[in-house]
Amino acid sequence: MIVVDAVAKRFAPPSRSLRDALTRRPVQAGVAAVEQVSFSAADACITGLLGPNGAGKTTTLRMLAGLITPDAGRLSVDGIDVAARPREALARMGVLSDARGLYPRLSARENIVYYGALQGLGRDQAEARAELLADMLAFKPLLDRRTEGFSQGERMKIALARALVHDPANIVLDEPTNGLDVTATRSLRESLRFLRTAEGGSKCIVFSTHIMQEVERLCDHVVVVSGGRSVAAGTVDELLAQTGQTDFEEAFVRLAFETAEVREAPGEVLA
Amino acid sequence: MSAARAAWAVYRKEVVDALRDRRTLMVVLFSSVLMGPLLLVALSALLASFEASAESRVVYVDGAAHAPGLINFLQRQTRIVKAPPADYEAQLRARKWSDPVLVVPAGFDVAVQRGEVPTIEVVSDSGNAQAQAGAARVQRLLAAYAQERSALTLALRGVATELLEPFEVQERDLASARTRAAQITGMLPFFVIMAVLYGALNAALDTTAGERERGSLEPLLMNPARRGALVLGKWGAVASVAVLIAMLSCFSFIPAQWLLRSDTLQAMFQYGWPEALAFLALLLPFAAAMSALLMAIAIRCKSFKEAQASSTVVLAAVSLLPLVSVFDQRGESPWHLWVPALAQSTLMARVLKGETLGAADGAVPFAVCALLTVAGLMWVARRLNEAAVR
Repeated sequence: MIVVDAVAKRFAPPSRSLRDALTRRPVQAGVAAVEQVSFSAADACITGLLGPNGAGKTTTLRMLAGLITPDAGRLSVDGIDVAARPREALARMGVLSDARGLYPRLSARENIVYYGALQGLGRDQAEARAELLADMLAFKPLLDRRTEGFSQGERMKIALARALVHDPANIVLDEPTNGLDVTATRSLRESLRFLRTAEGGSKCIVFSTHIMQEVERLCDHVVVVSGGRSVAAGTVDELLAQTGQTDFEEAFVRLAFETAEVREAPGEVLA
Repeated sequence: MSAARAAWAVYRKEVVDALRDRRTLMVVLFSSVLMGPLLLVALSALLASFEASAESRVVYVDGAAHAPGLINFLQRQTRIVKAPPADYEAQLRARKWSDPVLVVPAGFDVAVQRGEVPTIEVVSDSGNAQAQAGAARVQRLLAAYAQERSALTLALRGVATELLEPFEVQERDLASARTRAAQITGMLPFFVIMAVLYGALNAALDTTAGERERGSLEPLLMNPARRGALVLGKWGAVASVAVLIAMLSCFSFIPAQWLLRSDTLQAMFQYGWPEALAFLALLLPFAAAMSALLMAIAIRCKSFKEAQASSTVVLAAVSLLPLVSVFDQRGESPWHLWVPALAQSTLMARVLKGETLGAADGAVPFAVCALLTVAGLMWVARRLNEAAVR
């Protein structure tokens, strides 16, 4: 169970250099990456954060992982406050971030076992998990190869296995289908569906994307994020009903952009 | 999980990772570790050839027939007089001929007896170091001959020879054999220090800027391990690689000694296990400090390449600082021990001179290195989050 409550994050402008001061370059304003995002993701449920590029999805997920401290609001994982006990929260989460670099000189197995060790697993335990995940994500033949030269899809699988090595109750994925082909995307989708079932561990899964089809096919619950705010939430059908559309893409555009325009130019709407 | 376990996991992974980077290790091995011993051996060969020519008793004289008196003098000095090849000038220029040539003009002896002050030439080439060294020897011989002649002439006229040589000059060299050798072996500390630095460089950059560039830093920080433990593990691995290179470098001079061609250098250059261990003891804190410093510099850089460019400042400083002791004519100052690299090279030079180092000598550089290490690691730990998300 993940709860994000009204978080906000503003990035400070880069510090002024001497040259900026001498050339009297105007002081740059900071960027408000996230203004107010709230959602809650239940267990045994796939929650999608849907939003255009730059909507604040990645920043929100980074705040969830404790990499960035929010200016306001609070985040909790299974009731554990991320700001107060970040390491306990991380132990309950498996995060596949936007950056998913592997160590090219280590084998897939070593990459996964390393993260197992960092999560506090014993060596045998981590090895067993690596085998299990290789079966689940279908990359067994890759297990003992060095990750140098792996394809995008292969890398993603290893990175996902690495994030799941400690069998976390909560899984957070940042644009996991980026750069994947159809088969890889399908197999990822199947893995996520399996993880949602009781057999797979009834995981709480949150994933961010800007791809409508992903959300339509996979998500039980959708949170639309736009301009740093969560603007709508519900199932796909609920969102269609809310906007009176039959096409989800159209519904998304309405929700994401028209509400943003209303907010940016309230005067016009009033007039 | 405990911080110690996390640090250990990071340490193990980073060491394996660094040791698998075979190509880089080989380059470091050949460029820094083997360079010192190779240069030493090459230098000893050069020295041996100088010694051989210094011992050579042959004097090449062109026109020996014009100066029977001089030839007689040379033979009395147990020198062997030989005629040079016809094209000795060209050969000297081309450095194919390594001895100076004495050119005696026609009618030399007669002119000397008449007091006409004839000219005798010592032909050498200042671009030819070996011939130049021989020229000094020949000139000394000629001066001795001139002195003998004038002494004889004055003695014939009843003048005491003491008038010509009112006092005697005798040199007394206070340097021990090892101090003399230290002039040649003085470059060893430089090689060892650079080997440590190059050993640490790649690993330090790879675990910081490299990790950022690969995009593996952000996922790494999403593990519930303390930042301090991560940094400590990484630093431990970098320092271990640097120390490994330092050990290879220090111990490589022991077998290199067996290859020394020059007997004098071999006799003077005493480098055994005690010296190697003293070197290592001086280098351990230095390797630790340099690892932390390079990591601190590289954590700010987005890519490996950028980090390499930034770290050249450290490389340049470390290679130039030991030169302070060369340029500083006042000799060793107490502040030298407070500067990393300079302190290590100063103390290693002392070891090579055969001086024993007290604990007090090592204390200051050790403290400076420890301070540098702690400051560097704290900086890296503080910057880690910021580095991951940018």
